[in-house]
Amino acid sequence: MTAVDGVSFNVDRGEVVGIVGESGSGKTMTALSILRLVPEPGQITNGRILYGDRDVVHMSDEEIREFRGNEVAMIFQDPMTSLNPVLRVGFQVEEAMAAHQRFTRTQARERVAPLLTRVRIPAAEQRVRDYPHQFSGGMRQRAMIAMGVSNEPSLLIADEPTTALDVTVQASIIELVRDLSGELGASVILITHNMALIASLCQRVIVMYAGRIVEQGPTRAIFKNPQHPYTWSLLRSIPRVDERTKEKLISIRGLPPDLSKPPPGCKFHPRCRFRVDRCFTEEPSLEEVEPGHLARCWVLMRNVEAPEAAQ
Amino acid sequence: MAAVAPLPQPDRDVAAYEMPEQATLLGDAWRRIRRNRLALVGGAIIVLLFVTALVSIVWTPYPVWLQAVGPTYQPPSPHHPLGLDQAGRDILSRIMGGALITAEVGVGSAIIVSLIGIPLGLMAGFYRGAVDTTISFFINIWYGIPDLLVALILVFVLSDALHLIPRGVFVIIVAFSLTRWMDVARLVRGQALALREREFVEAARMSGARDFALLFRHIFPNALGPIIVQATFAIPAAVLFEAFLSFLGLGLPSPTPSWGAMAADGYHGMDFAPHIVLAPTIALSVTLMAFNWVGDGLRDAFDPRMRR
Repeated sequence: MTAVDGVSFNVDRGEVVGIVGESGSGKTMTALSILRLVPEPGQITNGRILYGDRDVVHMSDEEIREFRGNEVAMIFQDPMTSLNPVLRVGFQVEEAMAAHQRFTRTQARERVAPLLTRVRIPAAEQRVRDYPHQFSGGMRQRAMIAMGVSNEPSLLIADEPTTALDVTVQASIIELVRDLSGELGASVILITHNMALIASLCQRVIVMYAGRIVEQGPTRAIFKNPQHPYTWSLLRSIPRVDERTKEKLISIRGLPPDLSKPPPGCKFHPRCRFRVDRCFTEEPSLEEVEPGHLARCWVLMRNVEAPEAAQ
Repeated sequence: MAAVAPLPQPDRDVAAYEMPEQATLLGDAWRRIRRNRLALVGGAIIVLLFVTALVSIVWTPYPVWLQAVGPTYQPPSPHHPLGLDQAGRDILSRIMGGALITAEVGVGSAIIVSLIGIPLGLMAGFYRGAVDTTISFFINIWYGIPDLLVALILVFVLSDALHLIPRGVFVIIVAFSLTRWMDVARLVRGQALALREREFVEAARMSGARDFALLFRHIFPNALGPIIVQATFAIPAAVLFEAFLSFLGLGLPSPTPSWGAMAADGYHGMDFAPHIVLAPTIALSVTLMAFNWVGDGLRDAFDPRMRR
């Protein structure tokens, strides 16, 4: 089965790109492919992953190892299980640097406490000697972020970095990711299903469905003017505080398709409110609807009158 | 945005508040094993064994090899608390010397068994695939071989035939380790298989950690508890193995005061001088029990599911 198919996008230097989509839409697999860490028995069968002018798919094992963590770092969903429980936090941050040539062991050791201070862990000098279980969830995520930025990567991939955290901590973690990436001049790929997060953080959004990009464009355009029915429904399914408060919330009926036997035609048509005959048989391609804004749909929302009334 | 400055610390004495003690793997295990009386008794016996072994290096009441310090077969007396053996040697002195042999064989075997089993198990569990198939194949084959027989042949070949290693403690350790490394290897393999899927290993891999770092910094320390337990159980097995070989006359050469050899020396006179057999066999039994109690205690102490 094909979990991710024909996904093509680019991230500019310093840009923050969001990837949204339901569980199982291929967001995480896309991110793991960038590091060539697709879990077994999965594999990259086709395509190119270019970092600058280097192709990740054809790097040697040593090249890819040096690439991971050094040029591209990943921040995970669950900080509770991503730290080694038997090693001191400071040592783990040090190890992240020791794996690469950028810093010597001594330099790495000296950088640990400042790094933890930088991710706003109070009393970092003392905390480096703590074990992960002595950290709270938010602090563990901060420590993971410290490991992520320790080698000053130029791309940070944050895979649902706030999902496992308290709501009160989420905002501060997001702020931290934004500030740090700004300071480092690093690009960020933010994977989430939280539209509010995307709106507040990203310059560009990629919407994924069933292993494909269904819509892609500047955040403002996507939020103001979504063209794919899936994006449209996704945005209408969340209550908004700022405008149109009388609007009814819309749910997307049904479940995402089983990718081992995907539906013919457009992968979204079984759940779509606006489908036409063509959707059942032919899969649309990703077409530009306005400069920089692409959508994969035969209908496009701008051609639908009174979408709220549709059944 | 600039990095946030550390918070100003109020100038107050924090010593009034006692910080909770930091828990480490060994500290935690120690706290729990302290409540296990049998393990404590075992531990005390083991300490006694090691102290005796160390003392025997510099002092025993009589030299362990000195014959005819009194009448042969003399039963325990004030001068010779454990009596004399068939050659008139002081049994207490020889028991002390035997403690050193026992400690060497036990600890040495546990170390070498771990040195063989841990890397093999880590590699099999971590790399899986062909590496695992190969290593597991050898583990299973080795289990099928009668280990005592192989060990006997090894002792003969290495020492008597080829003279590679002099007949002594070391050749017994080698023979034991080469035939009993599988338990540790299989245990470590299982641990590595489970741990390699844990997220912190995946996270370390994503930050570009080398395989060596993944194996020895992330997987190995997390498997340390079970490994220590397994190594502890290897000690009594090796001790018994040495005693058995020596009892058969195939272990340490005379006049080395091996407990097994001492029992063999005495069993001809068992009906009129049982003390010659009883002394080494009781010492051996107590030692074996002590190690097994401690092993059991450690197993309970390291198992987080048994946390009380």
